[in-house]
Amino acid sequence: MLTEDPQNHESKRHESKRAEGAGNPAGARRRPWLYEGLVALGALLFVFPLVLILITAFKPDSEIVHFQGLLPRATTLANFRAILGSPEEIPIARWFGNSLFISSAATLLVLTVDSLAAYAFARLDLPGKKWVFGAVVATMMVPGQILLVPVYLILNRLGWLDTPTALIVPAGAGAFGVFLLHQFFVSLPKELEEAAAIDGCSRWGIFWHILLPLSKPALATLGIFTFIGSWNDFLGPMVYLDSVDKYTLPVGIALFQTSYYAEYGLTLAASVLCTLPVIVAFLLFQRHIIQGIALSGLKE
Amino acid sequence: MTRSRSLRRWSGYLYALPYLTLFGLFVVLPLLYGLRLSLFRWEMLSQLPPRFAGLGNYAEAVRDPYFWRSLVATFQFVALAVPLTVCLALLLAVGLKSLHGRRQAFYRAAYFTPTILTISVAGILWRWFYNSEFGLFNAYLGRFGIKVPWLTDTHWAMLSIVLMTLWWTVGGPMVVLLAGLQNIPPQYHEAAVLDGATGWKSFRYITLPLLRPVLLFVVVINVIGAFQVFGQTFMITRGGPEMSTRSLVQYIYETAFNNYRMGYAAALSWLLFLVIAVFSLAQFRLMKER
Repeated sequence: MLTEDPQNHESKRHESKRAEGAGNPAGARRRPWLYEGLVALGALLFVFPLVLILITAFKPDSEIVHFQGLLPRATTLANFRAILGSPEEIPIARWFGNSLFISSAATLLVLTVDSLAAYAFARLDLPGKKWVFGAVVATMMVPGQILLVPVYLILNRLGWLDTPTALIVPAGAGAFGVFLLHQFFVSLPKELEEAAAIDGCSRWGIFWHILLPLSKPALATLGIFTFIGSWNDFLGPMVYLDSVDKYTLPVGIALFQTSYYAEYGLTLAASVLCTLPVIVAFLLFQRHIIQGIALSGLKE
Repeated sequence: MTRSRSLRRWSGYLYALPYLTLFGLFVVLPLLYGLRLSLFRWEMLSQLPPRFAGLGNYAEAVRDPYFWRSLVATFQFVALAVPLTVCLALLLAVGLKSLHGRRQAFYRAAYFTPTILTISVAGILWRWFYNSEFGLFNAYLGRFGIKVPWLTDTHWAMLSIVLMTLWWTVGGPMVVLLAGLQNIPPQYHEAAVLDGATGWKSFRYITLPLLRPVLLFVVVINVIGAFQVFGQTFMITRGGPEMSTRSLVQYIYETAFNNYRMGYAAALSWLLFLVIAVFSLAQFRLMKER
């Protein structure tokens, strides 16, 4: 039968619409507002602490220590003035600059070496690449913390301890980016480069003029991931850096917390300054970030 | 002809060379170096050179009560944090799946935001929440005459760390599980509806089995991450009270960078690696069999 009974078709469509909600526990479909209400309430709870840092950073210390409600009675910029105003004691601008430099350099390095390697593994016919790539991917399962002591000693031998290089160069060794870009390159149609090769395009030309421009979304994802990961890294700078003026923001703030133990206002204001750039980056690129995470979890 | 072709094939490795150099220097070499180091006694502060000790460091770990205490604390954390994180992530993913388009993206971003905080900021925030004198939680609970020793009681401290971890880390697994749910072709549920399975039954017998590969990935990644817990405990409790939250990684960190016992720290690292490897393999087996 080529012609379908329109009524039957209609009912099927109706059913498939109903079934859409079937992945959810009972009641989700019947009371969508209740469900969304719960999701919204939970989301509020999750975001609330962040809003609270922002509000509280504008409170005078006396109000923080004697809690009098969420909103400040007297708003003050004193906390921000105090941390920005004494660069000798609290070199927060310096830490910010260090963080920015290290994260940018690490991101650039990762994008460069990972895209080249992913191109080789995904598109070139290399002898034994299955084994090499397999070994690289297998190390994604190796917990990073167990490398801490030997990497420290290697950096010591190289004379890189207490320099930004100690945080930038090892970042390029992670397997995640190679894996992510490899998955992306593999998914691009092979015909593209076959056509280019017939036109006399070299391997480099194919990589540079064809694959890279097509991979902007994947590169953006990896770039943002690397940047935020490097910006937030805590253990690395704590172990590999020594001098206070070489610190990055997260370790700077941690140190700051131990020396200004009671002054929560200052610490929270510093936290706001540290967090704002990442929040902005996240909001600008959140689709890329979230899709990147989803992608890394779904592909085998 | 064949030689130049084989040369051309090998030359492709030039593209991978920069990465492979870094990979060799900062992944492969440290792995092997760490293993070798774990067989040596090396107190970096004394002027004595490292000396071979065989399995001496491992034998010391077996007799070291601090090692066992930190291992127990780590296991407690894993046993609490992993199931709670995965269940909450699944619950949130199911909730988000019932929404669509912009609203879904909005709430998804809201749940994900804590994940992008650095641990020192998140730690400072929660220390303040948990503070027994002027912390936010006790300020509100105090109105009902309740005062919880969030960080000062050995039983409460680990629970407080886990609660904070849920908030901080549930976003990642939630996003992966949501994508997994959305990847399930709707026909399966349509067929289930025809067979009369809706709601919980459809979730239990259709969604969950189809989600299993993604769920396995999420559980394994979470277990690996949880065994390496460090930042939260280091920032919020410093491992206290009475070492009840001192994790294995913190013990390794202190052994290496407070006491400079490099050989022993390397051995402890490999023991941690061993524990993680055993658990990951066991999970793969378990999930495959079922």
